[in-house]
Amino acid sequence: MPTLSSRTFRSAAPAVLAGMAVLALSLTACGSAAVSGGADISNGDAAPVSNGAAQIAVSVEKVEGEDQCVPDFASAPAGPVTFNVSNKNASSVSEVELLSDKRILGERENVIPGLKAVSFTVTLTGGNYQLYCPGATTEYKPFTVTGAAADSASNGIGDLLKEGTDGYANYVSGQVDSLVVAVAALRKAVDSGDVPASQRAYADARSFFERIEPVAESFPDLDPALDLRVADVEPGSKWTGFHPLERDLFEAKAITAGSKALAAGIVKNVGTLKTLSAELESDAAYQPEELANGASGLLEEVQSSKITGEEEAYSKLDLLDFAANIEGSQQAFEYLKPALVEIDATLTQQISSKFDTVNAALEGYKDPAALGGYKAYTDELKATDAAKLTALIQSLQAPLARIAEKVATV
Amino acid sequence: MATSPDPLPDVSRRKFFSRSAAVAGAGGLALGAAGAAAVAATAAAAPLSDVELMAERGHLSYPFYGEHQSGIETPPQDHLVFTAFEVTATTATELQLLLAKWSAAMAELTAGNPVGKVEPSREHGIPVDTGEATDMGPQGLTLTLGFGPSLFDSRFGLEKFKPVDFADLPAMAGESLNPAFTGGDLCIQACSNDPQVAYHAVRNLARIARASVTTKWTVLGFGRASAGANQTTPRNLMGFKDGTRNVLGGDELAEHVWVGDEAGQAWMAGGSYLVARKIHMLIETWDEDTIGDQHSIFGRTKKEGAPLSGEKEHDTPDFHAVADGAPVIPADSHIALVAHENNGGTKILRRGYNFTDGLDSVGRLDAGLFFLSFQKNPEHFVALQRKLGASDRLNEYIRHVGSGVFAVPGGLPAAGSYYGKEFFD
Repeated sequence: MPTLSSRTFRSAAPAVLAGMAVLALSLTACGSAAVSGGADISNGDAAPVSNGAAQIAVSVEKVEGEDQCVPDFASAPAGPVTFNVSNKNASSVSEVELLSDKRILGERENVIPGLKAVSFTVTLTGGNYQLYCPGATTEYKPFTVTGAAADSASNGIGDLLKEGTDGYANYVSGQVDSLVVAVAALRKAVDSGDVPASQRAYADARSFFERIEPVAESFPDLDPALDLRVADVEPGSKWTGFHPLERDLFEAKAITAGSKALAAGIVKNVGTLKTLSAELESDAAYQPEELANGASGLLEEVQSSKITGEEEAYSKLDLLDFAANIEGSQQAFEYLKPALVEIDATLTQQISSKFDTVNAALEGYKDPAALGGYKAYTDELKATDAAKLTALIQSLQAPLARIAEKVATV
Repeated sequence: MATSPDPLPDVSRRKFFSRSAAVAGAGGLALGAAGAAAVAATAAAAPLSDVELMAERGHLSYPFYGEHQSGIETPPQDHLVFTAFEVTATTATELQLLLAKWSAAMAELTAGNPVGKVEPSREHGIPVDTGEATDMGPQGLTLTLGFGPSLFDSRFGLEKFKPVDFADLPAMAGESLNPAFTGGDLCIQACSNDPQVAYHAVRNLARIARASVTTKWTVLGFGRASAGANQTTPRNLMGFKDGTRNVLGGDELAEHVWVGDEAGQAWMAGGSYLVARKIHMLIETWDEDTIGDQHSIFGRTKKEGAPLSGEKEHDTPDFHAVADGAPVIPADSHIALVAHENNGGTKILRRGYNFTDGLDSVGRLDAGLFFLSFQKNPEHFVALQRKLGASDRLNEYIRHVGSGVFAVPGGLPAAGSYYGKEFFD
């Protein structure tokens, strides 16, 4: 499952430093290195500058029967560089990227035979880069930038990503704080023996958890303790968390001493979640690719347990969880967006527009009179709408799943 | 992709090249005829090992570019995956991108290549190709694209590109169509000698398009039920030979299958119209019918497949032959109703497959014929089906449950072109 894993979260802080160091090394050390492997490029001179940017035309085409990427210049002066990419007839290539080491600095997808040329602009400091054309016979072509090398590892995109992960950490902490309050209210209602009030408190608490579920899942003991569904309970082991309480409140509609113990357990485990997520924030441990994978992972959750109606089998609050998963996914995406739009503006726009479509569709399921504010996800509603919802989410997940690679720091 | 290693033994490929020279030219093959024909043509040579035979089959490929799309006159391969799609994209630009991406991907797939990286180099990369056909070769894969009448509504501004008189098929007698197996804005007919290669192709094309289309319905055909050029006639699930008098090639294609300028659309030149009918057979009741009745329902014998007026499969039926005061071939038998002699010369190219979906909701075998035909005018199919629906004795044992009609554009001339390009220029 492409969700945040505890291993990557916990080891994240040192990895940031290590990753930065490698990047710094590659940018500075390579700046003085000799150009190599550029012999197959037609022109060794630096590209001409016009409109404030060096202009490189990259033709994707068949050369002696093989699909190749052919740039007209292999070198450019430091500063803005525009790559104008067109695909004449090479059906195995559909994207072109500019890389520094493995890091994507800019790219265009949908470089398809027969379509108009597309372009992307990146601002480059002196050093060695690679033009990457996945699928071409020669996939990597060296590209050299002459002039001043970077004096630090951080380029503009790195700063934007750092701001994004910091912002997301803060968002998670805010959701957890609200969850702490909501589960305290849930416990109070359960302790009072008031079933309708407990049902309302249950519905109120769920969204805060579902928005940040990938973070909870990254702690291997915490997510099962809080959110295990009945089908996932190991025979003979104890079932705890939200869902056995859901069964008491919505199926049995009776509060027992067991229900009260479950509520108390939820409060305790949410307290632990608060401690752990606060550590993640203070350690600046979130990586951009984890946000991206978390955003996609939440859509996987929607498909595998909400649309199937397995998540809230007793309360039928699946659409509430659905909306919370989408919101959490979109938040992670929004924090990456300022950097992502620099890397791949078209894809960023496509994902934004797909989120708009999904949110507009969700509007149709709102019901202010219903518990949680969304229609109950009954078997009847599932029968008529599940396939539609699946298609809706798949069309969002397809582009969203691809952003981790683009923002990856390692 | 040019960089992918060729997993199939080269030694066998070379053999295949030389062996297939004996049958070159048959059916417009890229590498030669099907393995069986090649082997037959060189029976004197040393027998091939199983691995070599599999490699021969794997290497079979048909050209993707040409005057007509492959998968029409191509001798039917063993397996089919047919899928109809609804376009969910809302702009013409998205549709254009989809068609360009599909065209490029189809060129790769039919050459036996993945549509992108199976194993990306970066850890956070998502595999572009799903991988289940890796190292299997093209296996004779053809991918045939069609446009449904609904594509030409107002959504994408394509009204003016709609071929003359192109519309959904009219309601006909003998139908109980299920909307879940009917219609579609686009269709892809994937045929291959390996079912996984065909499935992989459609799966990946659907995945490439996930942001702009949804899959409306799909049928998996597990055995061809029509004969093409140089093929023996296969049998449908009723046990009868199907497609004995099919359109096989030559002048008949121009006369009955390929569209010229009558569609009023340049993009349809060299194209055809595809009709798809999912026909559920009431197999259990058919199985308990007498052989005499089965013969008179089809108008042919079961084992040989001869017309009741003759002795051999390919004997020309004599619809005027009379015995004991009655036609030898009953007038309401299947072959009498559809024969070109009795329909003003109308012929259609049939390219159907047997299918099964397990059991139906009332416990019967859910199986039958996925009828596919290509004709230069959908009206030709309609005229024949109207007759069948009204009086075919076979109707007691079949139900038409799914239906679609699609305009199949002409072939792409070369790399760099894509289906529907004319819509967006």
